[in-house]
Amino acid sequence: MAGFIRRAWAAIRGIFGTLDSAHREKVVALTAYEARELENIFVLLLLGSFAGMPAPPTFISTELLPYLEHEIRVLNRRAEQSTDALAEIMGAIDADA
Amino acid sequence: MKTIFFTGKGGVGKSTLSAAAAYQLSQRGDRVLAISFDPAHNLGDIFDVKLSHKVKKFSDTLYLQETDLEEAAEEYIRQNTDILTEIYSYTRAFNLDRYFKVLRHSPGVEEYAALTALEELLRTANDYDVVVVDTPPTGLTLRIMALPRITITWVDRLRRIRRDILDKRHTVHTITGQYNEAGTKLAYEAKDDRVMIKLDELFNRYVNVAKHLESDETQIAVVFNPDYLSLRESQRIFNGLDDLNLNVDVAFTNKYTEGLKQIADEMEKELLGPLSEKPRHARVPWEPYKRERAYDLKFDMLPFITDGTTN
Amino acid sequence: MSSIIILVGIVVYIALYFLYGKRLEGNVVKADDSVQTPANRLYDGVDYVPAKTPVLFGHHFASVAGAAPIIGPVIAMAWGWVPSLAWIWFGNIFIGAVHDYLAIMASVRYDGKSIQFVASDLITKRTGKLFYWLVFLILILIVGAFGAVLGNMFVGNPAVPSSYVFKLVAALILGVLLYRVKMNFTLATLIGIAMLVGAIFLGMAVPFVAPKSVWFLVMFFYIIIASAIPVNVLLQPRDYLNSWLLYIGLFIGALAAISSVTGFTAPAFTSFAPIVSGGKPSPFWPVIPLIIACGSLSGFHALVGSGTTSKQLEKESAGLTIGYGGMLFEGFLSTIVVVAVAGYGMSLLVGAGQDINAANWGQQYLAASGAAGISGAGMFTAAYAAMVADTWLAFLPTAFVKTIAGMWVASFAMTTLDTTNRLARYTLAEIAMPLKGKSDAAYNFLTNRWIASAIPAALGIYLAWSGTFSILWPAFGAGNQLIASIALLTGTAWVAKRLKNKATMALIPAYLLWITVTAAILWHMFVVVLPAIQSNAVTNTVVFVVEGIMFILNIVFIIDFIKTKDQPVSDTAEA
Repeated sequence: MAGFIRRAWAAIRGIFGTLDSAHREKVVALTAYEARELENIFVLLLLGSFAGMPAPPTFISTELLPYLEHEIRVLNRRAEQSTDALAEIMGAIDADA
Repeated sequence: MKTIFFTGKGGVGKSTLSAAAAYQLSQRGDRVLAISFDPAHNLGDIFDVKLSHKVKKFSDTLYLQETDLEEAAEEYIRQNTDILTEIYSYTRAFNLDRYFKVLRHSPGVEEYAALTALEELLRTANDYDVVVVDTPPTGLTLRIMALPRITITWVDRLRRIRRDILDKRHTVHTITGQYNEAGTKLAYEAKDDRVMIKLDELFNRYVNVAKHLESDETQIAVVFNPDYLSLRESQRIFNGLDDLNLNVDVAFTNKYTEGLKQIADEMEKELLGPLSEKPRHARVPWEPYKRERAYDLKFDMLPFITDGTTN
Repeated sequence: MSSIIILVGIVVYIALYFLYGKRLEGNVVKADDSVQTPANRLYDGVDYVPAKTPVLFGHHFASVAGAAPIIGPVIAMAWGWVPSLAWIWFGNIFIGAVHDYLAIMASVRYDGKSIQFVASDLITKRTGKLFYWLVFLILILIVGAFGAVLGNMFVGNPAVPSSYVFKLVAALILGVLLYRVKMNFTLATLIGIAMLVGAIFLGMAVPFVAPKSVWFLVMFFYIIIASAIPVNVLLQPRDYLNSWLLYIGLFIGALAAISSVTGFTAPAFTSFAPIVSGGKPSPFWPVIPLIIACGSLSGFHALVGSGTTSKQLEKESAGLTIGYGGMLFEGFLSTIVVVAVAGYGMSLLVGAGQDINAANWGQQYLAASGAAGISGAGMFTAAYAAMVADTWLAFLPTAFVKTIAGMWVASFAMTTLDTTNRLARYTLAEIAMPLKGKSDAAYNFLTNRWIASAIPAALGIYLAWSGTFSILWPAFGAGNQLIASIALLTGTAWVAKRLKNKATMALIPAYLLWITVTAAILWHMFVVVLPAIQSNAVTNTVVFVVEGIMFILNIVFIIDFIKTKDQPVSDTAEA
């Protein structure tokens, strides 16, 4: 009996824990999305000069380049996904009737 | 510390006048550094010494330096490619690291190298009372002088985006306790973010340069000759500086002779007339180039480059 | 009766989840947990993140939950509760949930790319482009239909708009607490919930009474402003509060429905073609999918599911739980709505002095509801409150329960209004793309963010203002189900071409659905809208044109589909 209660209590705690982490993620989901898009824009501005875009003086880019590994990865991924954005946006902003 | 920039078309006697100014100031007791960015390397010739990037003592109060912009550019590129080859060191195994050297040919490297040299100069030359700068040819000079403002604008814009990114990461971290990608922790505080630190560093550096250039501590002298050949280019200099909101403090009509009075009058009217703030102006008489002590001009530059006060 | 139906519904859903859903998973999709999902294989920490299945279920459900699973069944009650439940149960199990499930799984096997991408890969590129057009056109109809729902509700129950405004303020404050002050999350949540409840009470105390025209204007400006401000300011905190509202509403509703133990006063079956749309007799087939969309079948789910959910699936078997199961759960929500109206609708209408009984229900239900001022959302809130009052939950004050129900619908409907506006800017830009280079002025005009926002908002609110709700709602349903039928046919194409599986379990419903939806649009256009142009020219012409364009796109699609149906695809993409 005690074991059952303990397990039930653990299950309830588990459910609330899951709910809690679910809510936390939901409440920053769009913020994370925006942060990622800004990272994309940031590195686009810097690297665009190598692709002919008007850009900051090249030296700024080369000075910052070594620290932008993560951002460049974001850049590559977003470039792939940018053509399939409709459903992604709908999911991100919960667009439904 | 005051800075005096001597600008003008090549061959008008810029280097000679800047050398003379430096010499006369040093004779008066100021600690002077005369530095040349001009690839023509006239400064060393005028003082009859071999000059390099290392400061050379000419007298107790006069020090000389020549910055080779090409060398500076090479050095700058080398520093940055070193970082890249370090991070991507595995490319050494395939000798692919040599491809990073193509960066040497990026647009703006020369300017940036000059700007870095200038920034370094302004930052470190504090034990001088005056720094007299012989500038490179017009186009380059104007581009270099424009750089601080351009750089500042760009760096500031990038800083703002970066701050936004960090703020959002911080929000995510505060609420979910994590912001990382595949195990690597991403910074969410400005003090931990190497990119932000770098951006702030760049920003402050160039704000200082811009402030210095726009302050009263900086004097800009334009040198021209009374011949129509130098009229157009001199106009470009005046206009260019005006676009950058930099004042011309003193103008010299160099190599003047009485026979050229009419031309000189015309030119001075055209160049100086439209200016809202008239610079101090002097006609420096033509003096034959002396083989020795070429820096020792008869003409007294001091009243013009020191605006009459005892600075 | 009510409790029995609820329990039967639960049993039916659970039983067929295992009997039918699992077969779908095993024989058709062949879900394999040993294969890494994109969430793991392509992990990027933002989109591609494996989420624990229960969490993802909740997230997916909250994303796809809207006002439609509530409004649709209320209207469909004109056919009686048996046909309504038949569609909600079996339409869902055999078509709707299958549609959601296949869309998600196809996406999972396509590296998380959307159903739009899958369509352009397996059918034609043109099919992919169709989605932009369809979504944009539907957005206008959504604003029209939902605007009309809200207009009626705001006038009929003035406590709701005021509660909603206070809730907006609460959301703004919560946003500041969470993102600026960075308050402890649990504390902020508690404050948020407290503010939410406070908003409801405050709204009840200070109802905003205003004519419909004022509400339409407010809605117009709300759409434009809310869709332009940063998501941290309003959208994110507001959606968070909405999820709590959903929990409360669903919890109370389910409890009340199960314990209400009341007989159904509404008729089980009225006639095959009672008065539903535009005052015309509406045949159950093919019109029912236009009335009950989400709750049984909804094309938007395919997009949302293949947009984010598929990228977060931790293992392939979670697809059934979330895609198929999630849709069934939404059907459960619609079941509760039917039970409430079936049990209490009659007494509400009679009590409001309407001449309605089991015999004339088919002809009179919608008219009577309108006359009594409780149509659409109003009927739901009244029936919901009546149901709760009829159980042990009666200690909750009726006015309070009614306002909660009203807030629930209002919150989801209003959210839909401004999120769809954000979408509209994007889809319009994609649609206008071919103009670039040919007519830069037109392109710049259409992609200006205020113009791109104002056009669908203005068109939609205009429709809501001047149009007839019973015409607008099925038009929106038509668009939504068009996307559904394209998505389902894409899903079958995926099953056939990539899984090399001749799956009748997917094929038959897909074809049936396409035929149904096509027939339904034609019926609606020519039997309902066309004649109505006489009485309300501009509005119904707009509706007719919009439906007409959607219909043409539908034909273009089916032509492309049939042409490419038997063409094999290259084996380069993942199966």
